[in-house]
Amino acid sequence: MNNANPQKEAIQKLLLRLELWFAPILIVVPLVISLFLIWDWFARGFSVGISRYDGELLLALLILFGNITIDIPFLRSIRTLRKRG
Amino acid sequence: MYPLKNTRQRIAQYQADLIEQLNAIEVDAHWFRRVFHTFAASFLVYYLIPDVGWVGTVKIVVPIGIVVCIAIVDYRRIRGELNHQRFFGLRSYEKGRPASYLYFGTGLLLLLLLFPQQIAIPCILCASFTDPVIGESRYYLGRKRAYLIGFLVSLFLFLLTWYRADWWVILTISLVGTTGVVVGEAQKLWFIDDDFMIQILPAILLLLVWQGTLFMGVNILPAPLILPIEW
Repeated sequence: MNNANPQKEAIQKLLLRLELWFAPILIVVPLVISLFLIWDWFARGFSVGISRYDGELLLALLILFGNITIDIPFLRSIRTLRKRG
Repeated sequence: MYPLKNTRQRIAQYQADLIEQLNAIEVDAHWFRRVFHTFAASFLVYYLIPDVGWVGTVKIVVPIGIVVCIAIVDYRRIRGELNHQRFFGLRSYEKGRPASYLYFGTGLLLLLLLFPQQIAIPCILCASFTDPVIGESRYYLGRKRAYLIGFLVSLFLFLLTWYRADWWVILTISLVGTTGVVVGEAQKLWFIDDDFMIQILPAILLLLVWQGTLFMGVNILPAPLILPIEW
């Protein structure tokens, strides 16, 4: 196991680095897209009284809450890895 | 002598695989994989892009280009030109075969290009949300309950995305699609990843139902959920 520990540490560092690089994209992009869909629903649908854009609102909420639900434990795991690192 | 040598080699290989698994890739990257799944729901923005002019061409060429690039990188990884350990989040069984992200990308590409959005959207959503839900539930509740929860989540997604159709269509489509999702996820094949099957199997089943009803003179597809922005 002595050989495994430095290897394990190297992998942990690589893991943390990659997660930190990707985290903003993985978290921000779905939020931006869901907000854009909500804005689109509001601008083209709700404000002019057209209901055929309601599907966009549904999908936006689904993307928003679905992502937030998974983002929270993901951020927690990064924090744990950071502490360990 | 040969069988003993063979056994020793097998034990050594087993130990090497075990160490690789213990080296945290399988354990610590799992939330990363889950977030990648939910992130994929963002690709629904594709349907906001209009089909006219050069934008319509870009809409087809760019996704194909991205998947081809991923395939080239993965081909180099499988050949050993790129170190497997640098591709973090990969499982050990993906070492000698195409990685799950390539399967996911290919499935997504096929759905976006070949299927109507009414069929593609619930399938993409199921790959994005049902897969992580089943994966997490399996840890705490066991296989059977995890698939039951996955079934209910998929059912919810199909009911939601087909809400504009007639009630008998919603019911039929939801049950067929959800069955496809759960079978696609549960059926583990070594050469095709479940990330591909969870998207394509329900899509093919729904396509068959749609074409069957079209053949009988009824179009069951509801109005699209996402309308392209005006260009």
